[in-house]
Amino acid sequence: MIGAVPDRRVLESLQRVTDAALAHLSRQDLLAELLSRITEILEADTAAILLLEPDGATLRPRAAKGIEEAVRQGVRIPVGRGFAGRIAAERRPITIDDVDHADILNPILRETGIRSLLGVPLLVEGRVLGVLHVGTLTPRTFTTDDRDLLQLAADRAALAIEHARLYEQERVARQTAERASQRLESLQSVTDATLAYLSQDGLLAELLSRITEALGVDTAAILLLEPDGVTLRARAAKGIEEEVEQGVRIPVGRGFAGRIAAERRPVTIDDVDHADILNPILRETGIRSLLGVPLLVEGRVLGVLHVGTLTPRTFTTDDRDLLQLAADRAAVAIEHARLYEQRRLAEAVQRRLLPEDLPSIPGLELASAYLPASGESLGGDWYDAFELSGGRIALAVGDVVGHGLAAAAVMAQLRAALRAYAVEEHPAADVVERVNALMWQLGPTAMTTLAYLVVDPVEESLELVNAGHPPPLVVAGGGEVSYLPLQGGMALGASPLATYHSETIPFPPRSTVVLYTDGLVERRGTSIDDGLERLRLCAADAGDVGALVAAIIEHMVPDERADDIAVIAACLPLLPDELVSRWPAEKETLVSVRRLLRRWLHNRGAGEEEIYAITVACQEACANAVEHAYGPGRRWFDVEASHRDGHVRLTVRDGGRWREPRGTHRGRGLPLMRALMELVDVQHTADGTVVVLERTLEHATS
Amino acid sequence: MRPLARIVEERHGEIAVAAIEGEIDASNADELGARLRSQLTNRSETLVVDLVATTYVDSAGINLLFALAAELHQRQQRLHLVVAESSPIARVIDITGLASAVPSHPTRDGALVAASAPAP
Repeated sequence: MIGAVPDRRVLESLQRVTDAALAHLSRQDLLAELLSRITEILEADTAAILLLEPDGATLRPRAAKGIEEAVRQGVRIPVGRGFAGRIAAERRPITIDDVDHADILNPILRETGIRSLLGVPLLVEGRVLGVLHVGTLTPRTFTTDDRDLLQLAADRAALAIEHARLYEQERVARQTAERASQRLESLQSVTDATLAYLSQDGLLAELLSRITEALGVDTAAILLLEPDGVTLRARAAKGIEEEVEQGVRIPVGRGFAGRIAAERRPVTIDDVDHADILNPILRETGIRSLLGVPLLVEGRVLGVLHVGTLTPRTFTTDDRDLLQLAADRAAVAIEHARLYEQRRLAEAVQRRLLPEDLPSIPGLELASAYLPASGESLGGDWYDAFELSGGRIALAVGDVVGHGLAAAAVMAQLRAALRAYAVEEHPAADVVERVNALMWQLGPTAMTTLAYLVVDPVEESLELVNAGHPPPLVVAGGGEVSYLPLQGGMALGASPLATYHSETIPFPPRSTVVLYTDGLVERRGTSIDDGLERLRLCAADAGDVGALVAAIIEHMVPDERADDIAVIAACLPLLPDELVSRWPAEKETLVSVRRLLRRWLHNRGAGEEEIYAITVACQEACANAVEHAYGPGRRWFDVEASHRDGHVRLTVRDGGRWREPRGTHRGRGLPLMRALMELVDVQHTADGTVVVLERTLEHATS
Repeated sequence: MRPLARIVEERHGEIAVAAIEGEIDASNADELGARLRSQLTNRSETLVVDLVATTYVDSAGINLLFALAAELHQRQQRLHLVVAESSPIARVIDITGLASAVPSHPTRDGALVAASAPAP
């Protein structure tokens, strides 16, 4: 028997067990160790710990010494009934001196031959965890000391059990969290990696595949909001592919997906049979439970993501949070893919809008460059170059307000309008005014700046109309660089009443004009004046027009561009004393030969009348070359012009034979040439015909 | 590109006037000829071709005018030209003999007056 006051060493030994157990033992080992110590201290034959089941109404033996069958057989005791049940219900110790005359529910206790029992509740902060009881195989009257000692042991055990339980809970929670974070990582890696490479469809399919895996579900689908903003359309699905194939459309606000989109919150359906499901495919597929969340980007609903199972499942808050997290990432990815797709499309449109090849005009040198912005969205920069009558060339550079596809669409209209009005031969200012009226009609998104320029190589002049665009740059033959006047014209599309004025300035041979967009001279942190000054310096000592554009790009364009950049430059070279040109043998080229020859003669100081005479004579030879260019290899003719000391010599070579045209009203070419020139020589060779024309210019004879 | 030349037509009673603005060369002479011929009706007695706004003519244009004059002559109709004095094209018209084959006037009014006069 033990004394009235528990031996200090006994208590200490008990304490050591429980303290040590906290840190190292699993709950099962801990309980066994506790029971072993308790039977020892109390000199009992049996001991058992029963714990309350999660239902709160049943006790179940979890550890036993001497009556191990109780645990093995999984006996259950209702709270409130029998020995242990009463202890749990009444939260107080109970002593049974003689088992035979007591209300014992558990048959094992009797079968084991237990004679006396002492039991106490396992309490933590007033909550009942279970019951601890000891028994003897010989009759015994348990004392208050025995009772206090067991209660002391029970209190410590309860604490240990509770700690172990919490520790286990935490471990499980941590494992769950780790698993969840692994699932998330797998989702995350998908969305990040795919942003750049996948089309939207590829991205969605990959996302759904990862989501079904992460959540252990059978089906998944993504419905995106249509441009009308009131309909959802199935865009990707896994397990319920019919949904996409049949192009299912769900009105926002109705049915499962429609409600999620309208209410912008997750919706769970445990039993599909008893829910408001609009889409028949969900039922037909045999889906039992559904969980859906909205796809949101910056508060905007892009669509709905939902998953389903073919067996009933109660989706937990964890499932819901995980799906929402996946949806948030997916929404960003979808938005990115959408923007990327849009950019790709806009780029394709823009590429079609920029001239593939600049027009090839003898006697005018053209060069251009277009660099798209580095970021996601494409700017609205655009340029064009085309021929007008009289050998004049129209050059245009514009910057459409806005980005992407919308800007590209405006650009397309601007390009068509400018070309249409320009070839109708309206004066340059009228052309721009008409384009402005059209842009105004297209609405407020159609704002654009424009520099429109007409180069007249024969007159050696330049006509400029500026609509809110940075000033074009002119590099004179001597290398002096200046900006053309700004004129203060409004951007196109800003006002229907805007008027535009053109300014004509001399454009002598060897001059170059450079048109560009603001991306070239604007840089964050510096003023536009700095940019204009840097461009001026950089243009000063470049070579020909190609080298000039290359130098501008090299010195002015940063690697990371916030905006697109377009540059186009035209140079009017001084035609040399010796001019060699080759032309296709087509009647339509005759006018171009005339223009070039006029300019060459003008550069040589010829007078108006002799320019006309020499031009006509040369045209007669050219017309004949065109008319008699038969067969392969004869589809071209050469015109060589040379000048020395006021003496002009023209040579026209073709691959055909000279034939004096037949018919009543033909054959005036040769006499005309002879009348207009001092010397006309027609030679037929095996390779073709060579016509040489010579004349001395008036300024040389006077 | 805009066509090299365009024709501005007028009618003064039985006189059809066609002003050729721009340039005439081998590439557009046939087309211009077809336009000029289509302007003539059986009622018109005279066609005045105004070359004041014509900036270029070579043998292709000269041939066309010679042919037109011959056709009109066969139909008992007449061709008059308006050619600005001392213009570059006046020289070409002189050299080719067109000026001596077809009555030529320095102004349109002059041509209209001459065309209204009874045929010699």
